[in-house]
Amino acid sequence: MLVLHQVHKTFSTPQGELPVLNGIDLTLDQGESLALMGESGSGKSTLLHLAAGLDVPDQGHISIEGQRLSSLEEPARARLRRQHLGLVFQQFHLVPSLNVIDNLRLQARLAQREDAEWTAHLLARLGLAGREEYFPEQLSGGQQQRLAIGRALAVRPSLLLADEPTGNLDEQSADTVLALLLELVAETRCALLMVTHSARVAAPLNRLVRLHLGRLEDPRP
Amino acid sequence: MSYYRLSAALIAISCLILTGCQETSPEAEPQGFAGLGENAAAFAEANAYTPLSFPQDHGPHPDYRIEWWYLTANLEDAQGEPLGLQWTLFRQALTPPDERPDPTPWATDQVWMAHLGISQGETHVAAERFARSHSQKASGQAGVKAVPFQAWIDDWILESPPDANFEDFTLSAYSGEGADRFGYELTLSAQGPLIWHGKNGFNAKTVDGQGSRYYSQPYLQITGRVTRNGEAREVSGKGWLDREWSSQLLAPEQTGWDWFSLHLTDGRKLMAYRLRGGGEEGGDYVFGHLLSADGQTELIGPDSVTLTPLETQVVAGRDIPTRWSLTLPDADMQLVVEARHPNRWMPTSVPYWEGDVVVRQAETQESIGVGYLEMTGY
Amino acid sequence: MIWRVLATLLAHYRRHPGQLAMLLLGLWVASALWSSVQAVNATAKDSYARANALFSAEVDQLTRRDGQSLTRDDYLTLRRAGLPVSPMLEGTLEIGEERLTLIGIDPLTLPNDNALGGNGDALTAFLTPPWQTQLAPETIDVLGLSRRQAPGATPTVDNNQRLPPLTLRPELPPNTLVMDIAAAAALLDSDNTLSQLVTAPGALTQPPDGYRLSRAATLASPEQLTDSFHLNLTALALLSLVVGLFIVQAALGLAMEQRLTTLRTLRALGVPAFTLTMAILLELLVFGLVGSALGLASGIWLAGQLLPDVATTLSSLYQADVQRSLVLPWHYWVGSLVITLGGLLLAGSGVLWRAARLEILALGQSQAWRLGYQRQLKRMTQGGAVVAVIAVGLALWLSRLPSGQGVLVSFGFVAALLLGSALCLPPLINGVLRLLQRLLHRRPLAHWAVADIQLQLPRLSLAMMALLIALATNLGVSSMVGGFRLTFLDWLDQRLAAPLYINASPSTLTPMLDWLDAQPDVDETLPTARGSVDLLAEKNARGKETTRERIALFGITPAPTITNRWPLLDTQTGRSAAWSALSARSVFINEQMAVAKQLAPGDVVTLETPQGAMPFEIAAVYPDYGNPRQQILMPTDVLVQRFGGDIASIGLVVNESADRQALRQALADNFDVSPDALVDQQEIKRLATQIFERTFTITRALNGLTLGVAALALFATLLAQARERQRQLASLWALGVPRKTLTQLPLYQLGGLVLLTGVMAIPLGIAITWTLVAIINVAAFGWRLPLYLFPWDIFITLLTALGVALAAAALPSIQLWRSSPQAMLNKGVV
Repeated sequence: MLVLHQVHKTFSTPQGELPVLNGIDLTLDQGESLALMGESGSGKSTLLHLAAGLDVPDQGHISIEGQRLSSLEEPARARLRRQHLGLVFQQFHLVPSLNVIDNLRLQARLAQREDAEWTAHLLARLGLAGREEYFPEQLSGGQQQRLAIGRALAVRPSLLLADEPTGNLDEQSADTVLALLLELVAETRCALLMVTHSARVAAPLNRLVRLHLGRLEDPRP
Repeated sequence: MSYYRLSAALIAISCLILTGCQETSPEAEPQGFAGLGENAAAFAEANAYTPLSFPQDHGPHPDYRIEWWYLTANLEDAQGEPLGLQWTLFRQALTPPDERPDPTPWATDQVWMAHLGISQGETHVAAERFARSHSQKASGQAGVKAVPFQAWIDDWILESPPDANFEDFTLSAYSGEGADRFGYELTLSAQGPLIWHGKNGFNAKTVDGQGSRYYSQPYLQITGRVTRNGEAREVSGKGWLDREWSSQLLAPEQTGWDWFSLHLTDGRKLMAYRLRGGGEEGGDYVFGHLLSADGQTELIGPDSVTLTPLETQVVAGRDIPTRWSLTLPDADMQLVVEARHPNRWMPTSVPYWEGDVVVRQAETQESIGVGYLEMTGY
Repeated sequence: MIWRVLATLLAHYRRHPGQLAMLLLGLWVASALWSSVQAVNATAKDSYARANALFSAEVDQLTRRDGQSLTRDDYLTLRRAGLPVSPMLEGTLEIGEERLTLIGIDPLTLPNDNALGGNGDALTAFLTPPWQTQLAPETIDVLGLSRRQAPGATPTVDNNQRLPPLTLRPELPPNTLVMDIAAAAALLDSDNTLSQLVTAPGALTQPPDGYRLSRAATLASPEQLTDSFHLNLTALALLSLVVGLFIVQAALGLAMEQRLTTLRTLRALGVPAFTLTMAILLELLVFGLVGSALGLASGIWLAGQLLPDVATTLSSLYQADVQRSLVLPWHYWVGSLVITLGGLLLAGSGVLWRAARLEILALGQSQAWRLGYQRQLKRMTQGGAVVAVIAVGLALWLSRLPSGQGVLVSFGFVAALLLGSALCLPPLINGVLRLLQRLLHRRPLAHWAVADIQLQLPRLSLAMMALLIALATNLGVSSMVGGFRLTFLDWLDQRLAAPLYINASPSTLTPMLDWLDAQPDVDETLPTARGSVDLLAEKNARGKETTRERIALFGITPAPTITNRWPLLDTQTGRSAAWSALSARSVFINEQMAVAKQLAPGDVVTLETPQGAMPFEIAAVYPDYGNPRQQILMPTDVLVQRFGGDIASIGLVVNESADRQALRQALADNFDVSPDALVDQQEIKRLATQIFERTFTITRALNGLTLGVAALALFATLLAQARERQRQLASLWALGVPRKTLTQLPLYQLGGLVLLTGVMAIPLGIAITWTLVAIINVAAFGWRLPLYLFPWDIFITLLTALGVALAAAALPSIQLWRSSPQAMLNKGVV
């Protein structure tokens, strides 16, 4: 499903070269869920962005569903993203100009894979039924993140990439959102790569890896 | 020609003449009253060696800087009310003879100014005229001709009949329109000879020898009609015509004069003046001339007159002496000369005081004559 | 505390220098254009004021009834009769390209309280050789001298004579030389001839026999004539000011929004609302002063660039001289500052209001804005409707005013029209976008694009309103100028029927006529004449009105060469009937007179002739562009014989084979004229067209600048929200929209928006053109123009606006393209 092989990434900063990823090898299979942990600034988000094709590695390669991202042009990478990937961000990234239902089906429509039944189902599962005409700013934080998750899953992606999806939520909303996320991931049988710094959030996932000094460590003995 | 450009011209001239702009500094060297003390090197100089020559000398002398035909009159109307009047034509040369412009139609080397004044009781009216001319052009807006005698500016004119020999004159001068109209129409005839003030008519004005050519006709008998406020009345009385020309009348340090022309009831005439400054050791320069009724005998010469202001009044914001003591020790005369009314200010471009006076014996206060007083430089 | 607060507030601009730049830019352009036009107006006013200064400089003028020129003899005769007249000479001196008015006066008799006193020297210098040339310091530039060399200099003029030594008189009007009449007579070679005899107003109750008296009051001052022209300039400048303030408003609003958190924090930390508001006010004042200073500096520069054209316009249209260097009185500086600061406070009043009512907790704020915007749109619609009603009311008022009146009402109408349309623009766009959103429901990206631009509308609407106003004005003004140009050139073609013209003094032209008729090469002579007459009464459909007014007369020779082409606007029974009627009993009048006196063909004017008052029927009305005054037209011989007019020029039709050079030489040999007295028709056309072009240079310049300011407003607004746009685009990119598509989206969005605005501007522009040609021009210049529209120009203007919009929109796109969107996602913006 997702394979990272010897991925290196270095950023240029005013203080000099800053190596962030230093030879990452990672494989994620269909239906598998993986928690990626590490301290702030350890490169978790960078790794996620590389996996989403939002950024390109300096060395190594990344493939999704057998397609090497580095072999794809930008438009193809974008197509891959809208058709096969779901992205959930800590800051939700909802489109403020669109209402709930249009936000929910935006990516599915962009990918020309809208499934009205599935959308309606998702809306109900997200607890947003009856709020189709609301605009994002009229929702609570938890509702907004659920909508963002729904938007990512509306396209029935094979891989869901989530970056601290509960980072902006209080504990109770976080638990609800996380539970919903895992349920829906299980329902769609997509793979999940979730960046988090919270062991509590990481706990329900199949696997856990820790990013430390640019390398992955398996924390389990 | 637009309104606009016209006004431009008006601005130019009003600035030039009224405010003087920055052309001359007020701290300039003293130049006597109205520039009459200005140095006049390139002009002809008045002297005592050429005798006066008539009738030519009744006409203008453009080689001299300044000149005037100056008439004052002490008249009475039908009710016996005294009335004074003045008519003067001044000539001023703008350039010395050798710097004159060519006589093109508008070229100018002479500027003419005329004053008209009528006084009675507390009233006093005055008017002023200006004109340009060129000395090599006979006719113009203003001028003087010796034969037959004519002195004019615009429609103001003093003239003699062709054969009158400077003895008979008519004078006509009016100003204003309608109810504001004033002026006179007079007939004048000489009852005595012309009087020359000084040797050959040269009248020294300072101890340094500056002076003028100066003669008078003080024996004029006048009848005529005076109009004021549009209303005419018959008048008659005595007149005095002065003729004077010079290139430097005053010394630079002389600032003005007080000038008396008096008709005494016994027929004698008295001319006296005081030039302030320019006398010995910086004192005043005083001159007097007492003439017999027939004009034949000169009774008093210079240096034997004293003139002392007795009383001043504020006229037009200035202190003007309106009562004078005039003494002629040689003739044993002590006179008091008093203005009939202080309001005789001439608000002309060169302002001065000019008005009718009464003459009294200092001791008895008995009225012994009338006359005219001119005071300048106050 | 207030200084601490102010420092905190200002710190924002250190992080966002772009916003500061935009704010200052807005203030700068607003105040620059405004102050430049005000500088031009102030300078012109100063020139007029000098003309009217010191004395109520009105004078009455005498002319001879027999039409002969005045001479020195007239002067002497009148003076010796006791009339207080003063002689005056006026002429033109040419120095290279420039023409100076020369005035010769006699200071001794000018109607003033004269004084000959202690100033003998100054008077003598003025009256005697080498005389003096008095002139305003500005006029020195024309003579090619520096101000230091000027006093006492004796420059040479084109006829190889030297001017008398120069003396500076700052209070004189520009381009005017004043000197003694003797010196002027020598320079003008006028001998005994006089231009004028003048008297103090009212000094004469009636004219002397054989003379005609023109009262001062009947002569119009340049200020009255040029009022409308300056009003036009002011209106355009005001427009730029408003547009500039739109930018300021946008910048302030943005800065306020971004600083809301800071403001709330400050309030939470215990800063009273009053202090906060005062700090913002203080901040506004600081910006206002900096902006005004920048604006004034560049405004003065701009005015210096515009002034020569304005001066040319005023002198060619109104014969009013305006100096070519700026004169700025103290009230100009204060006025400009007050206007800029006042405008800034007006633009900033919303911000101040919000700061004063700021809620410390942001509760419910973010949810409320959408509703708030809907409410705002509703208010805009209502306001727009109210203003539209006002516009209709003004239009009704205008339709009832006689033509040639109501400049202010027309400007009010145009302003109401512009404001009403501007207010209706955002609701209209919003409506269109909602409709589109519904239509594009099935196309997610287009749907997003429409929804997104709708979301931007609150911020963009001000810039769009400014663009609408500027576009409409631009279209209106350029159609007017373009239409005028067509009409004018056409008119010139018709008016200049003869291929050659001779210009010289009347005394030379009159004997020349016979000589010309005897020349074998000359087929036809077409003399024109000028004169003036007292209009005693006029009778139109509404009744008879008596008056006494001096009106200019113009004479033409009604030969077929002329009558076949001479343009007429209105006749009673057709062209040929009008021409055959033009005779000793019928006249034509120019459009200016028809408008001012509300006369039409068939009406009657009573003119004073040497035989007494006589009625003349008006047979036709003719266009007379470029003439500020009313005029009556009649055959040349009638004008010369009955009204004492002078031959003004002779039109010549010559053989095909004629040798023009030889004719030129023969003229110069036989008469006292220079070879340039014979002018080619083409040359006259070229000159006239040149004057025309310069007349509208300033209009065009201001027009272009206003559109430029509007473009800047749009650009600045887009720039201010570029980061926000990038974030939106980055989100879409993360969702799998290719970068290329994303970079194109803003172009479509904004291009569409501007096109929509542009399309709305077209009918508005046409309405403005109509108001200009049918009402404002008639009142300002006295002529009405046909309404011309130029589709190609409209298209180009729209294209330009579109280009500007796309350029502005391209900026976030380019940034997106160049920087990694991933960085956008990562940055604090997210």
